[in-house]
Amino acid sequence: MSTPLLERFVSEARDLLQAAATGLLILERQPGDEAAVNEVFRSVHTLKGSVGLFDFPAFTKLVHAGEDVLSLVRARQLVLTSELVDRLLDTFDQVSAWVDAIDTTGTLPKDADGASREMTAGLRAVLPADFGASQATASAVRTGELVGLDWLAALPEKDRLAAFAQAMDGAEIQAIEYAPLQDCFFSGEDPLALVRQLADLQSLAIEPTEPWPVIDHLDPYRCVLCFRALAAMPRVEVETLFRYVVEQVRVASVPPELLISLTGDPNGGPVYGDFVDEAYPLIAAGDWPPLRRAVGALLQLTAPTLLLASALRWLDAILAVPVPNSDWVNALIACIADGESNFRPVKAAQPAALANSGSRHLPDPTAVPEAPGRTDPGKVSSTAVRILESQRAILGLLTAGGDIAARLGSVAQTVTNLLAAEGHRADDLAAWSRAVDAAIAQDNAAPVIEVLDRWLAANHPSAASVRPEAGEHLIQEIKQTSRVLKVDQAKIDTLMNLIGELVVSKNSLPFLAKRAEEVHGSREMSREIKDLHAVIDRLAQEMHGAIMAVRMLPVSEVFDRFPRLVRDVARKLGKQIELSIEGADTAADKNIIEALGDPLLHIVRNAIDHGIELPDERDASGKSTQATVLLRAFQERDQVVIEVVDDGRGINPEKIKASALAKGVIDEERAARLTDQEAVNLVFTPGFSTAAQVSDLSGRGVGMDVVVNGVEKVGGSVSIISVMGQGTTVRLSLPLSMAVTRVMVVEAGGGMLFGIPMDHIAETVRVHRDAVHRFKQSEAFVLRDAIVPIIRLDRLLGVEPSAWFGDGSDEDAVLVVRVGGGLVGLLVDHFREGMDIILKPFDGILADIQGYSGSALLGDGRVLLVLNLRELL
Amino acid sequence: MPFSFAKNTATAETLCTVEDALPLLEYLQSHRGAKVDLGPCRHLHTAVLQVLLAARPKITVLPQDPVLSGLLSQALGASGEKETK
Repeated sequence: MSTPLLERFVSEARDLLQAAATGLLILERQPGDEAAVNEVFRSVHTLKGSVGLFDFPAFTKLVHAGEDVLSLVRARQLVLTSELVDRLLDTFDQVSAWVDAIDTTGTLPKDADGASREMTAGLRAVLPADFGASQATASAVRTGELVGLDWLAALPEKDRLAAFAQAMDGAEIQAIEYAPLQDCFFSGEDPLALVRQLADLQSLAIEPTEPWPVIDHLDPYRCVLCFRALAAMPRVEVETLFRYVVEQVRVASVPPELLISLTGDPNGGPVYGDFVDEAYPLIAAGDWPPLRRAVGALLQLTAPTLLLASALRWLDAILAVPVPNSDWVNALIACIADGESNFRPVKAAQPAALANSGSRHLPDPTAVPEAPGRTDPGKVSSTAVRILESQRAILGLLTAGGDIAARLGSVAQTVTNLLAAEGHRADDLAAWSRAVDAAIAQDNAAPVIEVLDRWLAANHPSAASVRPEAGEHLIQEIKQTSRVLKVDQAKIDTLMNLIGELVVSKNSLPFLAKRAEEVHGSREMSREIKDLHAVIDRLAQEMHGAIMAVRMLPVSEVFDRFPRLVRDVARKLGKQIELSIEGADTAADKNIIEALGDPLLHIVRNAIDHGIELPDERDASGKSTQATVLLRAFQERDQVVIEVVDDGRGINPEKIKASALAKGVIDEERAARLTDQEAVNLVFTPGFSTAAQVSDLSGRGVGMDVVVNGVEKVGGSVSIISVMGQGTTVRLSLPLSMAVTRVMVVEAGGGMLFGIPMDHIAETVRVHRDAVHRFKQSEAFVLRDAIVPIIRLDRLLGVEPSAWFGDGSDEDAVLVVRVGGGLVGLLVDHFREGMDIILKPFDGILADIQGYSGSALLGDGRVLLVLNLRELL
Repeated sequence: MPFSFAKNTATAETLCTVEDALPLLEYLQSHRGAKVDLGPCRHLHTAVLQVLLAARPKITVLPQDPVLSGLLSQALGASGEKETK
């Protein structure tokens, strides 16, 4: 069950793991590297985030443990030792094995749970014991405090009643206000799904934070919703649920009385004067059962839409517990008596306030219940800071005189309300009203401004400067990721093929021009076609170049895995090796880069295993104990050259010779004639391996011929230079791109054209017929003292030999090609030009035909068959 | 495509993802007065909900899922009624 999302995850996870491992290795060498720490942490953190989209709990847990360890490393609370690096690298290995499993099967392997538990425990063991605890308290601090619970009253009464009942049962009611970021959909969030996970959701109001635009202008991917929910669950659980969006969520625990508010039609309905008169004494006496009965009876009689009915329903809810809160009951009865919707519970200790019920409409901040969890006095929320700032600005505009009193009045009122909403204590309010009074008396805003400035100064650093930073960081990250486009390689290949076709069809324009001139006799037409051809030619070439550039990858794609490999191997063998990489940004075609991986792996392993000596040995021979392996890439004309240079013991030609003799690769006579360089080259011979014992490191004793095969397959070559005691350099030369193949076109079999890859061709010679020697069936000629066998191409391919042999000079055209280390002369009818072609391998029923590597279209529409000499000869 | 669009009704399927918000919006933009059938739907992505909230199409069938249904009728119902009056 592979979904596109999963596929993307797999490729992303691989990149992230690679980045993390690379960063980790840098860190091991330079523990103070801030950038590397962040890189590793960010990779692992992102990985944890993405895996959370899927149901791989074992995976998530392990990555999470890794992230925890790294977060401590980042905070410099944990020192990154080699052992810890090993452990983390093992973790990454495990994770990357899982990613592979997910890629192939879509699920984690069966043993993943066990492995995850073990490794997670291992990682967690590194953490200080109180890590989890400190984490928990940290998150508690981070959730914003909810201010302004006005919206509670707007929730449906039914929901509030249900929540109230829960609260009466002892549950903790949380009011949650969740305003997701506007771009949250782009980071894969689904706020609604998150909110639905609230365990005991009592009520949920979803509102736009701004008026809805006309539907034609709606941007469906900009989240402008605000969620307000009531849930009966402890605050810690809410915070755990919203842990990833903690800065967008404000929570406050709601005292039950805040849930009470009356809705309904205040007019009409009977007035229950009798009931009210009866109720007060009953409350005072604490005689609840009769009151309950009375409320129940009245509820039956009252139309449910009335305000009175609402009050009665609340009374019913309050009275549902054995010992109801008499303050609330009193306040509700007062509401019934007045027909007012303004529910304000008043402490029984202040009976004066009850009598003075008429003044309850006035702003009376001291009556606002002190909700637990409100902000500390002196500290206000960032919204409040903004409001205060704007009020300060209004005051700043005031000049003495004029309408100062009016403006001062409105500012004073706003600030008073704000202070009340923020839950400030009386002394802040008192200070404010003193300042306002003073300002009115002096007809000058200065005293008020002074107070505002003091508050703003106290709040500024804490509220204003911290949060935007995190936001900016996030935006930057989003920008970075959106720059890269991941495209399926097949699409690029299609594009590539199309360009190839274009190049070919473009090439037919000169033929057309020639026809226009010769057949139709229009020289002007011919010239115009040629002009057009020049333009199309340029465009096609640029296009070709651009597509090639898309396919180009830096060699770092391959190099990146070596630091890890070298480190592991070196540790295993007890050698001290420093790997340095040069020219990692040299680019080459993707296919070339990919084909490079295995050969390079082999060479580097060989260098470490056989080339580099143990530290003691190096010390004895006067070298520094730390060996160096250099990976170097650079471009040389149209070739990419990659060198692996080590400063190890070098290759001993005598040893090679002896070994080759023993294995029967060469005979004694030849061994005696070999130069040192030739002896060294013997390592490329198939079936040759000098290592005294086959280790698990440098292959299974197959030796360098694997390397040669791999590199030659993509049209490259390998050479090796070694100096005894000083080191070895293995040099790989590869074409920059495989898309364009340079071939030489030859004619054989009476006018048939064949292409021969240029890299096989050693030279072209004309051989006089007399110089060709015959030995039974075979022919040969002597080329600079070497005997070169001659093969007739027409006979080889089984085509009709041409009726006419050679030209009048009695010479034959022989193409000398190098195949598998030896020279062979191909006898052809004529040499034609060399050209760049776009080689198309055979497909369909032709795919199995041996001897040809593919075909190409020529400009005049003919098909050129390109020979695969390795298979033919 | 979790929404199937007919002449004047868009019918949701089990899971409406963020990808479906745009097609739904475009449909509602081009078919004024179209209705939406949420019957089979078990979860709506927030973006889809947002489109419904902004466009206020007539919901012919609420989701069978009781929680979602309650939630939607509260979110959509309140002002939806106002508009119909």
